Amino acid sequence: MFKKFISLEWKQFKRSANFNKGLAIKIFMGIGVFFLLMYAIGAGVFLYFGLEEFFPETKPWTLVNNFILFWFLLELTFRYLIQKMPVIHIKPLLILPIKRKSVVHYGLSKSLISIFNFIPLFILLPFSVVLMIKGQSPTNVIAWFVGVYCISLSLNFVTLLINKSDAIFYSIIGVLVCLIGLEYFEILKISTFAGKAFNFLSQNTYVSLLPIITLIASYYFGFKFMYKNLNLDNLDTKIKNVNTTDLSWLNRFGDVAPFLKNDLKLIWRNVRPKKTVLSAGIFLFYALYFILVKQSGGNLPVLMAFAMMFVTGGFAMTFGQFVPSWDSEYYQLLMSQNIRYKTYLDAKWYLMGFAVIVSFILATPYIYFGWRIYSLLIAGAFFNLGINSYLVLFGGVLNRMPLKLNEKAKAFGNTQGFKMSNMLIALPKIFLPMLLFGVPYAIWGFNSGIITIIAFGIVGILLKNYILKKIENTYQKTKYKMIAAYNQKN
Amino acid sequence: MIQATNLTKKYGDVTVLNIKNLHIKKGQSIGLVGNNGAGKTTFFNLLLDLIEPTTGEILNNNIKVDKSEDWKPFTSAFIDESFLIGYLTPEEYFYFIGELRGKSKTDIDDFLTQFTEIFNDEILNKKKYLRDLSKGNQKKAGIIAALIGEPELIILDEPFANLDPTTQIRLKKMLTSLTKNKNVTVLISSHDLGHVTEVCERIIVLDKGNLIKDLQTSPETLKELEAHFTV
Repeated sequence: MFKKFISLEWKQFKRSANFNKGLAIKIFMGIGVFFLLMYAIGAGVFLYFGLEEFFPETKPWTLVNNFILFWFLLELTFRYLIQKMPVIHIKPLLILPIKRKSVVHYGLSKSLISIFNFIPLFILLPFSVVLMIKGQSPTNVIAWFVGVYCISLSLNFVTLLINKSDAIFYSIIGVLVCLIGLEYFEILKISTFAGKAFNFLSQNTYVSLLPIITLIASYYFGFKFMYKNLNLDNLDTKIKNVNTTDLSWLNRFGDVAPFLKNDLKLIWRNVRPKKTVLSAGIFLFYALYFILVKQSGGNLPVLMAFAMMFVTGGFAMTFGQFVPSWDSEYYQLLMSQNIRYKTYLDAKWYLMGFAVIVSFILATPYIYFGWRIYSLLIAGAFFNLGINSYLVLFGGVLNRMPLKLNEKAKAFGNTQGFKMSNMLIALPKIFLPMLLFGVPYAIWGFNSGIITIIAFGIVGILLKNYILKKIENTYQKTKYKMIAAYNQKN
Repeated sequence: MIQATNLTKKYGDVTVLNIKNLHIKKGQSIGLVGNNGAGKTTFFNLLLDLIEPTTGEILNNNIKVDKSEDWKPFTSAFIDESFLIGYLTPEEYFYFIGELRGKSKTDIDDFLTQFTEIFNDEILNKKKYLRDLSKGNQKKAGIIAALIGEPELIILDEPFANLDPTTQIRLKKMLTSLTKNKNVTVLISSHDLGHVTEVCERIIVLDKGNLIKDLQTSPETLKELEAHFTV
């Protein structure tokens, strides 16, 4: 039976509308995945030697054990946000003489073939090999490896279970933040407790039975969950009661208000935009990495400018790059209703402006790192408002991919919404702030770099009508192509 | 109201629509009939400037539809589900369309009261998103939304398909009264010859993209059409 399913999948892949067009991209992504796995192997090897180098007083294995709980929570977060759950087109299968059990088993096994299950494997395996080379007992290392990897795989099925429930996700995030906070302020060293447990695992082979049982249990619950939901009632849509929020306060924005209201509902009520915006939140912390690296070694302000731009530009980067594809499901309506293209683009600009301002406010704590960092944050906000927003809108013309709103995006292997042109339009977004800051910085110093970016941003904001008019022209020119592309259902 | 001249649409070598000259007067109700692939939806899409004509042009109230956006304020349409915004409730959708056409929330609430019969308690106040409604109810919502804001030209593609018999009859009544009382041009396509002949004063038959019959509806029209389509 599995063989038949696999052949169906293969046909689905080979006969999909954009198979040929997508092949180059698939090869490209394949190379990307290859490099990612190579990095993972490198990270696994480096993990041992790096820890040994920086923290010579503790054994690397013990250190890894101490912090592995955080890794698991982080992994779960990423899985929830990005990992796509297996989709089998079961509707035609339901009435055929196929055992439901085998359909479910197939679906669960398919979910294992995911980059999220390979990355931990490719990190853990070399790390374990290094451990053995460094003289740890092979049986202990193997038991530890099996145990840790089983937990990682259990997370695969746990993701499947919590996928439908936001509440659980937010509580996991909450737990993660609390644990990090407690750890950081040394109130409760959770790493000691977790460390004890995992160190115990690394010394006692039989303990690895526990994670194995966890894995089996999570598979069992995943199976029960899918089996229960394997009927048409639950298949199409879980009909949830709607939550209507009063958004009339947005009416003050006049013409663009109806679109802003719609876009907020779009984000709130559809799986894919919601997750996209949630993952945009991660960008708020992006610059932290650079700041922390800077504290342990040298760093260029130019790189800092680049990083701080991302802090307020996360939304424009993640959500913005799929404007207007988010509206692809009903683009024909927008094109024939009483809407001026200009107003539509204006509304999208305001939406991104909101996001910049909101993330700017949320990023206030960066002031802790000093005025220089904070002034870069301000400059980044101006850049995003006055320059990046237009680049994003212009990129939308090139990105003509229909999007299914209520379906999660797949990380890797899914070409929906991915195009070479996206990459090209992303380049100026990345290099412009470095250039605008870097050149004056090199000649006149830090402040002039900041002033240059802000000046360009303000000019951009002032020229909004003119620039949007230009963008509108390109949208008008490609209107038919866009409609035709959006009409193609994969 | 509508003037199509030398209008053709080709995909590659295949001509899917070829209309030399078609004039539709204001206030007329037009039924477009034809088998699958006759070019009905293509014509509607051209009229709404959703696809580009290969040659020729369409004037809507003397406005070239592919050159100016000025026809949008007085034109409305429901072609298929891609005219619905799935993540809105029907009420929110009506309000949205209302806002686009300068109607306040209370205007829309008033407007909707006349359709209580058609909605049959399955659309309003159900706390459901449009994407979770049945095909038939989605269609009802789409058709009603196309009537918002006193449009002068209403385009409906297959309005009767997917609707239950009761609603079909109510919809027919509604469309007839629409064209009688007001200065509204209605353009519908249908596979149901009975329905179009009842509702429309003029029937246009398309076949493989060509306009082959143009009839003023009379008691004999239905028979004539049935004879035409009997192979």
